[in-house]
Amino acid sequence: MPDPIKMRITLDGEIATVKVLMPHPMETGLRKDPKSDEMIETLPRHFIEHVVATHNGRTVLDAQWSRSISKNPFLEFRVRGAKPGDTIGVKWEDNRGESNALETVIK
Amino acid sequence: MNRESRIDRARRRFGQAAVAVVVLAALAPLRAWAARNNAAFDTKVLEEGVAAIGADAAVETDQILFKSPDIAENSAIVHLEIRSLLPDTRTIWLFAEKNPQPLVAQFDLLPGLEPFVAVRIKMADSAFLRVVVKAADRFYYVRRETKVTIGGCAG
Repeated sequence: MPDPIKMRITLDGEIATVKVLMPHPMETGLRKDPKSDEMIETLPRHFIEHVVATHNGRTVLDAQWSRSISKNPFLEFRVRGAKPGDTIGVKWEDNRGESNALETVIK
Repeated sequence: MNRESRIDRARRRFGQAAVAVVVLAALAPLRAWAARNNAAFDTKVLEEGVAAIGADAAVETDQILFKSPDIAENSAIVHLEIRSLLPDTRTIWLFAEKNPQPLVAQFDLLPGLEPFVAVRIKMADSAFLRVVVKAADRFYYVRRETKVTIGGCAG
């Protein structure tokens, strides 16, 4: 199981600013494995390629990523028409078919 | 009796069909994920990636606010913020010219989202970063150079 997603939401009027951290190695497939003999083996490509954000279950952001996104990806987005009690959801899926999701209620 | 059981059966069939529809509706949000533009993501040349998203005719604009560092001290974590002032902004693409595959990300914005995203990316080398926006069915772009001081797309 991947480490849990972390989400922080700040509400300013009707705009919810959502900051998300998604623990993930984001291996490019180009990096040498420091544990391999003479460091000649490369670590296999392993990266989040799809992220979807929802507001009360409705998709507001649909993102496709490449392996160029940094390790443990950070994402910030802003949702309109948000109020306390609303739910913000984030789900990612990587190139191996692993996924993780988190829903947070706005305070 | 015979007729009644036939009605019962029909009712049951209707019930099963309704359950199937409900299950499909529940799965729909997952299946509705947009298809990945592999041609755009796989290309090694920025201009080909821009062509693959249909943005060859994109015009440069000052209506995309692109916050990027002039100098990135760590090429593995380059913090970027993109805000579009263009009405009806639907999609934002981010390219890093010198990365092995320049297209870094595509963000499809649906109703209810502010035209803003922030992400952190890896840069293979000092390069121009380009943001392409599709707004009201037209393409716009902005580009800015970021120099990296410690090299490599290592992280």
